[in-house]
Amino acid sequence: MKANISALMDGELGAPETEQSLQALREDGEAFEAWREYHLISDALQGRALLASDCLHRVSQRLATEPFLMGPLPSQVVTAARAPWFAPSALAASVAAVALVGWMAFAPQQETAPGLAPVAQLPQPAQPAPGSNEPARVPLTPAAQDYLFAHQAYSPRNSLQGMAPYVRSVSVEALAPGKP
Amino acid sequence: MIRALGALLLCAVAGGAYAQTSPEALEWLRRIYQATEQLSYTGTFVYQRGERTETSRIMHLASEQGGMEKLEVLDGERREIFRTRDEIRCYLPESRTIKVAQRSDARTFPALLPERVSGLAAHYDITLGETRRIAGFDCQAILLSPRDDLRYGYKLWADARSAMLLKAQTVNHRGQTLEQITFTQLEIGNVARSKLRPPQAAREWRVEQAGAAPADLSQAGWHLGAELPGFRKILEIRHMLRDTQPVGQVVFSDGLAAVSVFIEPLSGRTDAARIGLATIGAVNVYTRKVADHLVTVVGEAPAASVQRIGNTVEYRPQ
Repeated sequence: MKANISALMDGELGAPETEQSLQALREDGEAFEAWREYHLISDALQGRALLASDCLHRVSQRLATEPFLMGPLPSQVVTAARAPWFAPSALAASVAAVALVGWMAFAPQQETAPGLAPVAQLPQPAQPAPGSNEPARVPLTPAAQDYLFAHQAYSPRNSLQGMAPYVRSVSVEALAPGKP
Repeated sequence: MIRALGALLLCAVAGGAYAQTSPEALEWLRRIYQATEQLSYTGTFVYQRGERTETSRIMHLASEQGGMEKLEVLDGERREIFRTRDEIRCYLPESRTIKVAQRSDARTFPALLPERVSGLAAHYDITLGETRRIAGFDCQAILLSPRDDLRYGYKLWADARSAMLLKAQTVNHRGQTLEQITFTQLEIGNVARSKLRPPQAAREWRVEQAGAAPADLSQAGWHLGAELPGFRKILEIRHMLRDTQPVGQVVFSDGLAAVSVFIEPLSGRTDAARIGLATIGAVNVYTRKVADHLVTVVGEAPAASVQRIGNTVEYRPQ
């Protein structure tokens, strides 16, 4: 994986490997360590001043407080995202690295699957027409647990029952849909 | 004969008209609200949904500072929820995750106080039911029958002395019980603070902060159409799911049931979205796609209500 990370920094990876490597960066502490190490090495070689150690954290915090702009992406942004998004040089600026990490934290999938429109992830046949009375019956997704938890926090029923209804948001079914 | 039938019919109609909210029943709801907030207790309850049952232990320590509460699921994999005045932490040891929801924002939405109880009578007929013994407590039943088919009905049993809720059922329009929570053991008073410690979590656990903040989704172009009769918007926020995914949430409520609309960009999701309707006990989850976003409506309301709210969501940029 380390070799892939290096190649990723050099912009030498194809689309599937890029996706794989980014996934590893998200999940694998070792891959992420390698990513940071390589950048540190390149910074040292270039004689660039090092950023404060908690810079990542602070950037993430700042991003979290940014105004919330939710809406479909303008097409030119999508195009830009699909273009090779990493400088072909191995020695990209630290600032770019930080920006990228922040970017990854916000929208990991968007850049990882160039050419694969998010729409393609949807099981199209199951999609009901808006207004239809008979939507497809689907199992709960793991993401639904986050929704149940977020929803429960604001249910007026809590005032009648304290936390007992929270049991729904952590019920086994919500945690692992499809389990018998 | 016909006259007798007519008289019977008249009686039935008059009887129907009498099935209206009684002041005693409303007073019982107020007492339950207060007991929930003011009593310290330890208990074991069973959550039941269809064939499934799950036993949990709950502890509540009431205090001037907002109290503390701990919920621990005893069956299956370990799951715990710990609440203080300021936050709710959900511990999931299996996935080594802690989900954190701040409660500071709770002050920004209309509190559901005992004063608001009488407002419920606009949507439910609230009456007293039978008395019954549950977990050693003599309980009074309180019935909330919906006045339309947009919401579910509830049957509550509260301790005649303390008004602590011992049992709660959610019932659909056919009278079928969709889910229920029943205490099997309850001890009121004297909860040692030392027993109410947050669960042990190792340092490498993932902490997912929701970081809720007020939001205005209409400014971003999202329109939620006409509200469902009786459901008022009580909250509009944005927060983070799984630490990475921004999501907007609008909560509608009739004072008891709540329906949340979540709007999440499709681009950041790692798993495939499921378009359609999922049901878990009394909660319906309806998902559809609007303008490259996933709109998910979660509510303890009939599928038709949840769908109706979901289908009004539109994206119209200014």
